[in-house]
Amino acid sequence: METKRSVLHKVFVCFCWIYAAFSLYPLIWMLFYSFKTNQEIFVTNPFGFPWPLHYENYITAWTKYDVPLYFLNSLLVSIGTVVITIFCALLFSYATSRMIWKGRTFTRLFLGLGMFIPVQAIMIPVVKVVQRFNLMGTRWSLIFPYIAINLAFACMVYYGFFKGIPMELEEAACMDGANIYQTFFRIIEPLVRPATVTLVIYIFLNAWNEFILANVVVGSIPQLKTLPLGVLFFQGEFTTDWGGMGATMVIASFPAIIVYSIFSEQVESAMTIGGAVKG
Amino acid sequence: MKKYMGNKLAIFLFVLPALAIFIIFDFFPIIQVFAYSFTDWNGLTTPTFLGLKNYIDLFNDRVFYTSNRNQLIFAVIITVYQMFFATVFAITISDKKMKGRKFLRVAYFIPVILSVTVVCQLWSAILSGQGLLNKLFETFGSDYTQNWLGDRYKAIYVIAFVNAWQWMGYQFALIVAGIKSIPADYYEAAKIDGCSNVRAHMKITIPLLAETYKFCLIISLTGGIKAFTEMNILTGGGPNKSTFTLTYMMYNAAFKKSDYGYGLASASIMVIECMLVMLLINFIFREKNQLKEEEKSKKRRLSYGN
Amino acid sequence: MKKKILSSLLCATVAATTIIGCGQSAQTTTETQSEAPSEAATAEATAEAENTQAKEPGEKVTLSIYTQYADDDTKVPYDYAVEQLKEAYPNVELNLIVQAQDDGQTLKTLAATGQLPDIYQASTDIINTFRESNQIMVLNDVAKSTGFLDKLYEANKDLAYAEDGNIYAFPFSGQEYVLWYYNKALFEENGLEVPKTYDELKNCIEVFKSKGITPLALFGQEGWNTAAAYDVVATRYTEGGIKALDEGTASITDEAYLTAAKTLEELVAAGLFQDSATTTNYDQASEMFLSGNAAMFINGQWYIEDATAALGENVDWMFYPAADEASYEAGKSVFSGGGSASGFAVNPDSENAELAAEVAEFITEKYCEAKVMYRHNPLVALDTGKEPDSEYPAMMKKLSDTLPSITATTKFTWGLTNSTFNDGIQSESQGLVSGQFTADEFIADMKDVME
Repeated sequence: METKRSVLHKVFVCFCWIYAAFSLYPLIWMLFYSFKTNQEIFVTNPFGFPWPLHYENYITAWTKYDVPLYFLNSLLVSIGTVVITIFCALLFSYATSRMIWKGRTFTRLFLGLGMFIPVQAIMIPVVKVVQRFNLMGTRWSLIFPYIAINLAFACMVYYGFFKGIPMELEEAACMDGANIYQTFFRIIEPLVRPATVTLVIYIFLNAWNEFILANVVVGSIPQLKTLPLGVLFFQGEFTTDWGGMGATMVIASFPAIIVYSIFSEQVESAMTIGGAVKG
Repeated sequence: MKKYMGNKLAIFLFVLPALAIFIIFDFFPIIQVFAYSFTDWNGLTTPTFLGLKNYIDLFNDRVFYTSNRNQLIFAVIITVYQMFFATVFAITISDKKMKGRKFLRVAYFIPVILSVTVVCQLWSAILSGQGLLNKLFETFGSDYTQNWLGDRYKAIYVIAFVNAWQWMGYQFALIVAGIKSIPADYYEAAKIDGCSNVRAHMKITIPLLAETYKFCLIISLTGGIKAFTEMNILTGGGPNKSTFTLTYMMYNAAFKKSDYGYGLASASIMVIECMLVMLLINFIFREKNQLKEEEKSKKRRLSYGN
Repeated sequence: MKKKILSSLLCATVAATTIIGCGQSAQTTTETQSEAPSEAATAEATAEAENTQAKEPGEKVTLSIYTQYADDDTKVPYDYAVEQLKEAYPNVELNLIVQAQDDGQTLKTLAATGQLPDIYQASTDIINTFRESNQIMVLNDVAKSTGFLDKLYEANKDLAYAEDGNIYAFPFSGQEYVLWYYNKALFEENGLEVPKTYDELKNCIEVFKSKGITPLALFGQEGWNTAAAYDVVATRYTEGGIKALDEGTASITDEAYLTAAKTLEELVAAGLFQDSATTTNYDQASEMFLSGNAAMFINGQWYIEDATAALGENVDWMFYPAADEASYEAGKSVFSGGGSASGFAVNPDSENAELAAEVAEFITEKYCEAKVMYRHNPLVALDTGKEPDSEYPAMMKKLSDTLPSITATTKFTWGLTNSTFNDGIQSESQGLVSGQFTADEFIADMKDVME
């Protein structure tokens, strides 16, 4: 019985590692891909190590558009989106999950509507709103729509986490004479930090990779273009420079991976703090 | 206490920023989507009111039914796949005895970080006619090779798998975060009661993460209903629209046929479907939630007793 | 710790606000167009008057232009045009917005929100859509004053005019043709003759398949290629092909179209295309052909340059096979493909609309010149009087020799005027190519579409 279980366990661990390798493979594949020509990608060498290295793909990518500028734009837009979305969603979800008032369920579900609409459908009205508020030509023209797109999802995630916290915490804080704002920022907010970290990553990635809206809103303004728009320089009507696109995608994904590795460490440390508070 | 948690000013201040942004940049446009779905509009001209014509046409459209069938298949596959693997891996990672758990945690999340374009490029290379998978199968005999993405009936399952594979990492991260927020003494109490590791998780993790599972469920199901990008890159909706979804119908009508009104009608139906799913899930979970609440407080008392 | 996080969060908000605020300075001229159309219309006259005065020598005018800029076929002409523009219009600068391959999604959204660029590359579909909302300028006068009409080849006259008799865009491509390319070396190695009839073609398919060579690499992920594959067969039975269906002068239920669908169905079943044809993109299919893994290829005549560069002597094009030898000979004068009204159009609400129109015409001329000189493609809209920088490839010579005997052409999908039919034929022909939709289904579904 014992040995049977341990064999099963070993098989399972093996499976976990194989799955992990499978999840990491796209990174390696993308890196290889970015050093290949169309012919290698489609016919001669779709999966193997790229040889000779076509590093000129990176030179083309670097010279075709202003990588540092696009990078800066992407970064500012993504950070702006993340900070404001997290801030708004935290407050909103706290009010709808733990505070007591009429219509909180309705308000919560109402906001949830935002999760369901595809960007393509609301694009024209959204751009019109952006124009009406005179945001065209600024980075806010991207940040506000991005916040709106991510808000519903963030609120839903937070709602779940807030619901899981025992009510006794607020009761105790109330006894100690803290006001509601202090209670929220000092006691409750740290408890959902694991959720915040996951959301930061998620929202950052969403904003970082967004293409459709960015193309319409800042596509004609060279100073404000974001990194995903770089692929346009490689897609022709009939033919595409896939290697160059690969290089662009590596350039665009690299910062996202760094952000993730930083925050993934944060998750771990945030957990220990959260645990300490609870204990 | 009730007064403390019912502080009107605080509620107002907390709700306002999110609600304001949502109404201006999301709700207002959504209303327009519904309004325009009753008109003949190419996106540029002044719309003319048509009544229900767009909807009637939609219900007579063969592709409308294919799309709904595809969405259902898509939603079910990604939900089952993601929830199952996310739970299994999250529990494995949370076991402190597991070697290399930090590495595994990063690895499972990697597909989420990459953009959909990259992931779809990779899979279309693997799944194409001369792709890796078919080459692998050829070594076992050519009978096993498949036209993975070009098959009228099977392609949708393959696309659903690609989506499920990519986004599993996100649900995994959410469940890991959820497990971390469960106080360790719950598990200790369970161990003292002689529960095995797996049983402890079955008994504690999954019920306590009911809310987390609820939104995982909503994300997967509505994600399936909304699906578009994967089809767009992997099959282009083909062959002959057999991998269309309502979002794809919207895109196709609005931009290929310049029939915006018709496209928005299909988008409206999709939003309604998503809303129904969300309400249904909320309804199912509400009953259980109350039970859970009681159970939870019982358990807490128990563990404090220990 | 908690406080620190919160305060840093707030700090970050403030920082983000200030940094992002800097973007304000990046306002562009496009913004001013967001006024209501009626307002813009009345303001137009005065604005124009002002502009002509304001256009003093030395003053820079920036015009935004939305066009393709990705591969050699689009980059070479654009770069050449910009260079020439510097000399002819030293005060004009172009702000290039690279066109996205998104079925016009971006351009239509820009138009709907009043951000249309000054000059944009418009397809037939775009021209027809924008015409209704007056977002495309009538260029009749400019075409006359700049001499565009004088340079336009007689055969391309109909390309310039829309259905209502006005000129909305300056086309730079002339009549274009779907060519059925083949790899001469592969045919010789396998002892095969160029097929004239479908039976001979089926024989070729068998031989190639037994050797592990794909008979014909189709890029069926793109609907136009599958539509072209159908049209190539359909034109063997009726001259009008998909063009007649588009114009409504023929019906999909006609015998010829059914026979064509049945023929294509048989060819697909015989294995003419690779199994995964409907998920193959252009680059995949092209690489298959150029590397000798596929024996045949269907593409426009613009591919001559690339094919010759890669395969040299070993590549040629053939007349499309037909049901029997007689119809093969008769069909030599009928080609799939044709011209389209696509070209450079001008935003009438632009501050510098008049200037933009002149520049658009100028760029069109330069595109034609560049295509002749550097891309060895004499099939352009205008008579440029230029010579190519080296000799035309053999395939192009062969095509030029054939041109006088061509009596009928059809359309490429982007030249079709009925967008519902266009969408239908692209996806339904893809169904046929996939081998999972029967010819009868094809006809029945197309019939539904047309109603």
